[in-house]
Amino acid sequence: MTKSLAAEPAGLGRVMSPSGTDYSRALAVRERRFATALLAPAFLALMATTTFPLLYLIWTSVHRMDLAMPFADGFVGFDNYRELLQDSRFWASLAVSLIYTGTTVVLQVVIGLALALLVMGMKRGQGLFRSIAILPVVLSPAVVGMVWRTFMLAPEFGIVDYFAIMAGLGSQNWLGDPTLALVSVVVIHTWQWTPFAFMVLLASLAALPDDIYEAARIDRASAWQRFKRITLPLLRPAIVMVIIMRTMVALTAFAAIFTVTGGGPGTATEILNLYAYRKSFTELSIGYGSALAVALLIVTVLISAVLFAVRRAR
Amino acid sequence: MKNTEFTRRAFLKSGVATSAALAAAPSLLNGAMAQEADLAPYKSAKIDWQQFKGETITVAVIPATYFDNLITLAPQFEALTGITVRFEKIPPAQIRQKSVIDLTSKTGTYATHAADPMYYSLYAANKWVEPMETYLSDASLTDPAWFKLDDIVPAWRNANSVDGKLLGMPYDGEVTLQVYRKDLYDAKGLKPADDLQTFVSNAAAVHNPDARVWGAALRGVAGAGQNVYIYSSLFREFGGQWFKDGRLTVNGPEAEAALTWYVDLMRKYAPAAAQNWNWPDIADAFSQGTIGTYVDAHSSASVVNNPEKSKVIGKVAYARWPKGPSGKRVTSIWNWGFPINAALPDKRKKATWLFIQWAACAETQARTAHRFAGPAKRSGVNRISIWQDPAYVGLMRGFGDNFVEATLASLQDDTDVDWRPRVPQWPAIGDTLATAIQSALAGQATAKAALDEAQKRIEPMMRG
Repeated sequence: MTKSLAAEPAGLGRVMSPSGTDYSRALAVRERRFATALLAPAFLALMATTTFPLLYLIWTSVHRMDLAMPFADGFVGFDNYRELLQDSRFWASLAVSLIYTGTTVVLQVVIGLALALLVMGMKRGQGLFRSIAILPVVLSPAVVGMVWRTFMLAPEFGIVDYFAIMAGLGSQNWLGDPTLALVSVVVIHTWQWTPFAFMVLLASLAALPDDIYEAARIDRASAWQRFKRITLPLLRPAIVMVIIMRTMVALTAFAAIFTVTGGGPGTATEILNLYAYRKSFTELSIGYGSALAVALLIVTVLISAVLFAVRRAR
Repeated sequence: MKNTEFTRRAFLKSGVATSAALAAAPSLLNGAMAQEADLAPYKSAKIDWQQFKGETITVAVIPATYFDNLITLAPQFEALTGITVRFEKIPPAQIRQKSVIDLTSKTGTYATHAADPMYYSLYAANKWVEPMETYLSDASLTDPAWFKLDDIVPAWRNANSVDGKLLGMPYDGEVTLQVYRKDLYDAKGLKPADDLQTFVSNAAAVHNPDARVWGAALRGVAGAGQNVYIYSSLFREFGGQWFKDGRLTVNGPEAEAALTWYVDLMRKYAPAAAQNWNWPDIADAFSQGTIGTYVDAHSSASVVNNPEKSKVIGKVAYARWPKGPSGKRVTSIWNWGFPINAALPDKRKKATWLFIQWAACAETQARTAHRFAGPAKRSGVNRISIWQDPAYVGLMRGFGDNFVEATLASLQDDTDVDWRPRVPQWPAIGDTLATAIQSALAGQATAKAALDEAQKRIEPMMRG
């Protein structure tokens, strides 16, 4: 700080010099310095809250850090990662994560788009529909999980089970059967987040120019042709953006599954995030848990990179 | 004008004075009461309760009536010692993690916390808590003739000891009992099960889902303190040994037989949802009259006897755990104990000990149980002498037939220190075992496959 103060008079001296470029350069330097000073607190806060923990996570992941056996702690290099590659539960949880992400994102986009098209055609009640649709999004995922677990899916007592019995399907153990449990958590996530896709797509739909559709109608393009040739291509950026955002969130989902099934029955709904959590905080094997978290980070970065590349492709 | 102003002022003044007096009155009264008769039984201990005056300690507990009663009495402790106590309530699912994080970071946030007996090995391995012996043997801190350590339920003290050293003082504990519907059993001429086979046949006899009565239910939800809680008793009753040749073993024929029994019972006679139930869910269902029998903590008796919710009051009776093929009955030795955080400064450790001594002594135990003024009385007192006190026993009889007898018999004869394997790696082992049991209950794997898989995962955990 004292240094920059001392430099100040020199700068001022140059301002006095007749050359105009010198003056503007000095001005630019000062501006940059000022900008740096303004940026510094936010930058430092960001470093302290994101970059440092990330580096610490990576540092932890190359150590053995086991609260149950503190005497065995120490640097182990890539041992945690080698162990991870042979860990069948890691691969199983990665598969569950990918299935969960893939299905929820596709369902959200398809249902969200269908709803948006439907609502666009509505003459009245659009506003009401929109405000009702937004409700699940504003709920905390943990609350959503609790509601579904107790009111909706409980066998013999829940609403969904009641309808299943009414429909002649009989009472199902929604969260107790491995396949049904995975379906249930996918449905819950889709239920909560489809309105997000719906809102974004509805806004983009409303912004599409009318004249193109008018021209298409004059050319006698059918509704399907208009949808396929005009609506979809024009909506593409919005759709890709929704896919990217929802994919990243779905890959790192936690609260809803944690409250609904806790990863169970067995490990049927244990996504990678949940496995990392259990390893770190239930089993207290923090080094290996960190390695799992780093693996999840790598997967997320890779998938987003692919999606961004697709987005830029056209 | 002046007149009205005067009266208004006077009114305001008197109002302020009155409300101040009203606000102060209860605390003044409390203080006065606490200093007189209330503290006399404590002052008969030959120690200086005031020696750590001015210290402040934070205690983590779970939201439960047995701790709420203690919190209600805390002003008496503060008056007795001059130590300020802050309580933090943390749900049972999180308290283990929160206290482990506090202990490992050595911040000393919680001077003591309600501790899971299965965690003491982990605490001991990391030297996170202080041996109680240091404080029990210090004459300036403890009056042994007054505190009477031997009066505290021995099974719980054993459960909280590692290598013979007591690490946490039992505050409230439980045994597992067979709880059944007397009316349903009488109608079919059934007796409470003496062995596991009869337990199943009883369940079969009263099982009638069309009339919304299921034969039996046991905790199914995954967790080291949930399904493993029940399974561990079964495993021991089927003759299982956690250690074979010094090696922790969770599979093998006894384990398979125990898990198969558990899975069969749950499949055939429990509501499908029970697979995701913990004890409060079972007690709720039982109090709605939909369950014939269950085995769980004796403290669930207060739920099934809750006059506001229960439809089965007067129809409930109790018995000990049914015997397993090995001839043993194995109850839980679960208790919430208070350890002393080793990261505290010396003076605060001693202040914490005074708190623990106060909470665990016979006087406070009685005051939070049958002598508690509120509606909820504790049923898990830590003192044998109170379990023999007619006033307490009389109160406990209200829970139903044979409650006191079954609880006392279980406490004295059915406890088993090796109920669950006590090793520092327990958090990991318990979680792995819980997952295995649940996948068997869900039909994801056979009992054998689930346990073999668990064994495979547990072996590397035990390697140093």
